[in-house]
Amino acid sequence: MQDIIRKLDEKREKARLGGGQRRIDAQHARGKLTARERIEVLLDEGSFEEWDMFKEHRCTDFGMADESVPGDGVVTGYGTINGRLVFVFSQDFTVFGGSLSESHAEKICKVMDQAMKVGAPVIGLNDSGGARIQEGVASLGGYAEVFQRNVMASGVIPQISLVMGPCAGGAVYSPSMTDFIFMVRDSSYMFVTGPEVVKTVTHEEVTAEDLGGATTHTTKSGVADLAFENDVDALMYTRRLFNYLPLSNREKPPVRPSTDPTDRLDPSLDTLVPANANQPYDMKELILKIVDDGDFFEIQPDYAKNIVVGFARMEGSTVGIVANQPLVLAGCLDIKSSIKAARFVRFCDAFNIPVITLVDVPGFMPGTAQEYGGIIKHGAKLLYAYAECTVPKVTVITRKAYGGAYDVMSSKHLRGDVNFAWPSAEIAVMGPKGAVEIIFREEKNDPAKITAREAEYREKFANPFIAGKRGFIDDVIMPSETRKRICRSLAMLRDKQIENPWRKHGNIPL
Amino acid sequence: MFDKILIANRGEIACRVIRTARRMGIATVAVYSEADANALHVELADEAVCIGPAPARESYLVADKIIAACKATGAQAVHPGYGFLSENESFCEALEREGIVFIGPKTHAIAAMGDKIASKKLAKEAGVNTIPGWNDPIESPERAVEIARGIGYPVMIKASAGGGGKGLRVAFNDAEAHEGFASCVNEAKNAFNDDRVFIEKFVEEPRHIEIQVLGDAFGKVVYLNERECSIQRRHQKVIEEAPSPFIDADTRRAMGEQAVKLAKAVQYQSAGTVEFVVGRDKSFYFLEMNTRLQVEHPVTELITGLDLVEQMIRVAAGQPLTFDQADVKLDGWAMEARICAEDPARGFLPSVGRLVKYRPPAQSDAVRVDTGVYEGGEVSMHYDSMIAKLICHGRTRDEAIARLRDALDAFVIRGPNHNIAFVSSVLGHERFAAGRFTTAFIAEEYPQGFDPAVAGFEDAPLLLAVAASVHQRYNERASRIVGQMPGHEFRIKPEAVVRLRGVGHFVQLEVEGDDHVVMIDGKPHRLVSDWKVSDPVYRGELDGRPFEVQVERIGLRYRLQHRGVRVDAEVMSPRAAELLARMPVKAAPDMSRFLLSPMPGLLREVSVKPGQAVKAGERLAVIEAMKMENILRAERDGVVEKVSAAAGESLAVDQVILVFAGS
Repeated sequence: MQDIIRKLDEKREKARLGGGQRRIDAQHARGKLTARERIEVLLDEGSFEEWDMFKEHRCTDFGMADESVPGDGVVTGYGTINGRLVFVFSQDFTVFGGSLSESHAEKICKVMDQAMKVGAPVIGLNDSGGARIQEGVASLGGYAEVFQRNVMASGVIPQISLVMGPCAGGAVYSPSMTDFIFMVRDSSYMFVTGPEVVKTVTHEEVTAEDLGGATTHTTKSGVADLAFENDVDALMYTRRLFNYLPLSNREKPPVRPSTDPTDRLDPSLDTLVPANANQPYDMKELILKIVDDGDFFEIQPDYAKNIVVGFARMEGSTVGIVANQPLVLAGCLDIKSSIKAARFVRFCDAFNIPVITLVDVPGFMPGTAQEYGGIIKHGAKLLYAYAECTVPKVTVITRKAYGGAYDVMSSKHLRGDVNFAWPSAEIAVMGPKGAVEIIFREEKNDPAKITAREAEYREKFANPFIAGKRGFIDDVIMPSETRKRICRSLAMLRDKQIENPWRKHGNIPL
Repeated sequence: MFDKILIANRGEIACRVIRTARRMGIATVAVYSEADANALHVELADEAVCIGPAPARESYLVADKIIAACKATGAQAVHPGYGFLSENESFCEALEREGIVFIGPKTHAIAAMGDKIASKKLAKEAGVNTIPGWNDPIESPERAVEIARGIGYPVMIKASAGGGGKGLRVAFNDAEAHEGFASCVNEAKNAFNDDRVFIEKFVEEPRHIEIQVLGDAFGKVVYLNERECSIQRRHQKVIEEAPSPFIDADTRRAMGEQAVKLAKAVQYQSAGTVEFVVGRDKSFYFLEMNTRLQVEHPVTELITGLDLVEQMIRVAAGQPLTFDQADVKLDGWAMEARICAEDPARGFLPSVGRLVKYRPPAQSDAVRVDTGVYEGGEVSMHYDSMIAKLICHGRTRDEAIARLRDALDAFVIRGPNHNIAFVSSVLGHERFAAGRFTTAFIAEEYPQGFDPAVAGFEDAPLLLAVAASVHQRYNERASRIVGQMPGHEFRIKPEAVVRLRGVGHFVQLEVEGDDHVVMIDGKPHRLVSDWKVSDPVYRGELDGRPFEVQVERIGLRYRLQHRGVRVDAEVMSPRAAELLARMPVKAAPDMSRFLLSPMPGLLREVSVKPGQAVKAGERLAVIEAMKMENILRAERDGVVEKVSAAAGESLAVDQVILVFAGS
C-alpha cells in the first residue's frame, strides 16, 4: 500500500512537471504561464479537480513510443469561479508544443461531454503548436471531435476561449466556434496560414503578431473580443465575465443582490443629448449611469466602435446591452457593427439574458464599400437576430431612429416588449434635410422655401409623439429616470414566455 | 434698496451674486449666451435673458444687449461680476444714461484706474509707492527695446487695458522685449480693442499682495486687510489666502492706508482692490487698482465676516457703510483654490467637455464652494477655464491648509481634466507650508507642469489599506452570486497582494464587525468606513484619523486619488501576484515621433512642411482653444515626415498633427 501511494505521488509529481523544468522556464521566458499556473489564476483557489492526469498518447511511430508524458499536453478538469461550476481544459505547450493528439482530444471531449450533461460552461485555454503530426489523421480526427462538440454545445452552455499562445491552421476553428475569445498581446496569435505560407503564396511580408495577434483580431478582423497585456490579466478578467453568464441555457441569468437603488435618478442624463442634432455624445456615459454600480463589461470594445455591446446588471440580474455610439461614424450601422451586434443579441437570446437596446442611429452606412461588401446580407443578420429573439427586450430611443435602422434596432414591430423614447427622440424615415429634398423636389432651387420646409418637417417628425400616437413607443420618459423605468420593465417581463414556431433551424443570412 | 438686479456675467461669480441678492430679498435676472442656455446661473436666477451667440464679444461683452435685458425685465441695477464689462467705463456711462445703477464704482474712478498709465501717475500724486517705468505711448518694438534698456532688464511689458494675465510679457533681453512688445500689442488689440502698452521695471522674487478696499458715497473708505496672491502660474492666480504669511501688522497698516488714500483720490465708492508687488524687504509698490470685485474676494469675506457683494449692493443703493476701520476683523485664516478645467500634465492647457461627474465637497462653516457648473453641465471652450472656487477657513494657517486639502480629496470631477491634484500638491509643498514663496513659486517648483500619476505619495499604508478594503467589498459582492456549488461556495481569503504602481505589498485583511483590520508590514490598521462599491469617494477613518480617497475602478485596477497623487492599485491573491511578477514588463509604445494635439481646439496653422528639418524649440503648429493661442514647439531636433492635419481643422485630443521621420 505504501508503495502504491509513493508511486501515485511520483506519478503526480511527474505529470505536474509537464515537459520538464527546462521547458517551463522557456515558457516563462516567452512571457507565458504554464497550463497549470493559468488554471490556478482562473479558478477559485484550491477548487480545481484534475482528470486524466495519467492519460498518455498511443502513438508508436517516429519514435513516439519512447516519448510519452502523462497528461499528453493538456490539463483538464473542473473547478469553480466564485463558487460556480466550470469545466476547463488548458493546453500545455511544454509537452510536445501543446500539440493535439488523439488522446489529447479525448481529454478535451471528456470535459465537454460532462459539461453538457451537468449544464456548466467550458473554458478552453489554448496554447498549442497544432496537430500532432506524428499521429497523422488520428490527430485530425481529434480536432473534428472537438469541433462537433463545440457546435453541439453552442447555445447550450457558454464556451469561452483564451488564446494564450499559438493557434494556427485547423486549430483556430475550435475557439472560433465558442462564444468569446480573449487573446494576449505579443504572446498569442491565430491564423489559418502562417507568415511563411503567406509569403510564398501572396508575397506579403507580415509578422505573426500583425497577421493574427491580439491587436489585429480585436481591432481589424473582429475574430477576438478582448486583448490583454499578459496571461494574469486575461485570466482575472475572464472570472469577471463568468459572473455575468448563466451556467447553461436551462438557467436564468445569475443574480447577485444589488445595493444600487432601482429608483436612482440621474439628473445629469437630462443634458446628455446635445441641443445640436449633429453633435455627438458618448453613449457609454448613459450605459454607465443606468446599470448597477456603473459596472459594464464591454465585448469587442475596439472593433466596430459605432456600436457598443456588453453585459451589465439591472437589479442584480444580468442584462445584455446593445447601443449605437454617436461618437463613431455618427452611430450608423455598417457591415462590421451589424455582425458584432447580431452575434451578441443571439448569445443573449440563447442564454435567457434580456436585451436592452439604446438607439441613436441615423441609418445604414452608404457607399460602394458597404454595398459591395454585402451590407444587405450583413445588416439583415442584426434584423434577423432581433426578430428571432424571445428574451425580454427593452428599447430606449435617445435621439435619432431613422429609416430601416429604426426597424432593426429592437423596434416594437420586431416584438420589442417595452419601447421608450426620450423627449429628444426623432423617429422618421430620414433626417429633415434628406426628406425635404425628396418630398419637395420641385422647390429644391429655392433655399428659403427649403429651409422653411425643413423646419416644418423637423417640427412634425423630430419628436417622439408621431410614433407614440401609433403605439410604436410605449412612453416618452425623462432621461433622468431611465434606470428606474428599465428596471420596472424588466421586473414586469421576468416571466415572459413566447415561442417561435417549431423548425429545424431558421436560415439566417450568413 | 433695489427690487431687482441683473447680473451681467456667467459662471461661479454670477451664481455667487445671485445668492447674496436672494438673501437680501432682491429679485435677480441672469443673462446668458446660447452656449450657456443650460448653465447653472440661468437655473438659479429668477429670470433669464438670452443675449446672443456663444462668443463673449457677441454676447457678454455687448453693452447694448445687457441694457436691453435690463429694460425688458425692469432690472434697476447691474452687477457686472469680474471680467467682461466690469471695468468698462462706456458701459457704465450707457447705464447711467438709461437710469440704471451700476453696482460698482463711479465712471470716473473706473476711467482713472482703468488706464494703467494714468493710474500710476495718479497713485504717485496720491502718495502711493510706485515702481520706475515708462508710461507714455510706445510707437514701435525698436522704441520698446530702447526704453527697456533705459529702465534696465528685466522689464515687464503690459497692455494698458490688460488684466487677469492677458496682454502681459516679461522680457530679459532685447530680443524678448522686441517680440514681447509685438505680441502684447496684438493681444491687447484683440482682447481689449486698445493696443497701448507700457513698460516698467520687473521686480524679481516679488510677492503679489493686494489690499481690499470698500468705499461709500459719503466719502468713507476702509481697507479690509490684504490677500496674498503670489501662487500664480503665468500671472494667473491659483491659490490665494488672507492674511498673508509674509507681512506684519505695520506693513499691513501702511499698505492699507496707502490703498485708502488712492481710493479717496478717485472718490472710490464700492469694493475695489489695490494690487502691490512686495519685495523681500517688505518694500511695496503699487501695481494697479482693480475697480471691481475680485475672483479671490471670498478669502477676505471669511476673515472679516463681511459679504462684499452685499456691501457693493448697499453702497450702490446709496447706503452708507455701517462700520469703521477699527471694526474690521481679521479672524483666523482663509485659503482659496481655483478649480480649473485644465491639464497640469500637459502644460496646463485648457480642457473642455462634459462634466460626466461633478461632486464638490460638502459645505460647512469652514468649507465654501463657489461653483458655476453642475454634473452633466459643459465646460465650454468659449469662456474661462475656472469652474469653481474652493475656500476653506481655519483658526490658523495650518488648519486652513489641512481643511483645503481634505476638501480637495473629496472634490470629484470626471470628464475634463482639472487641477485638483496639482493644487493639493502645492498645498502640501514644504515651501508653501513655510510661507516661503514668490510669484515664481510654481515656475520654480513645477517647471515641467505636474502629473499626479508620477507624483510621489506620502501615505502608502493608507493607500494600501483602502485598496485592500475596496477589493474586499468587490469580493463580498461577487461572493453573493446565486448558483454556487452547495458546500463549495466561494470563500474570500484574508491574504492579498496590493500592487501600487506595479510594486507589490503583502497585506492581510480581517473583517471585524463592520470594520476592516488590514495588516501591513506586521502592523494592524483599523479601517472604518461605510463605503459602497461604486461610490466615487472612499470616506473613512484609518486608525481613528479621518480621510477621503477617490476611487475609480478601471478594468482590473483601482485608481486612487489622494493628496495630489494618483495611484493605480491592483489587488490579487499572493499566488497570482507571484505569477504576475513573472510576466514581462512591456515598454509603452514610442509616441515621440508624433505631434499630438494636447487639447481639443482649432488648428490655426501648421508652421512646417514635410521634409523640413526642425530644431528643438521651433514652432510647429498653433492651436486655438479657449480664446488662447497655444504654440506647439519641437521637443528636439528632427525632420518632418508627414503633416496629418490641415489648418482650419477641428482637432480632438491626441489627434496626430504631424509625424517626424524615424531616426
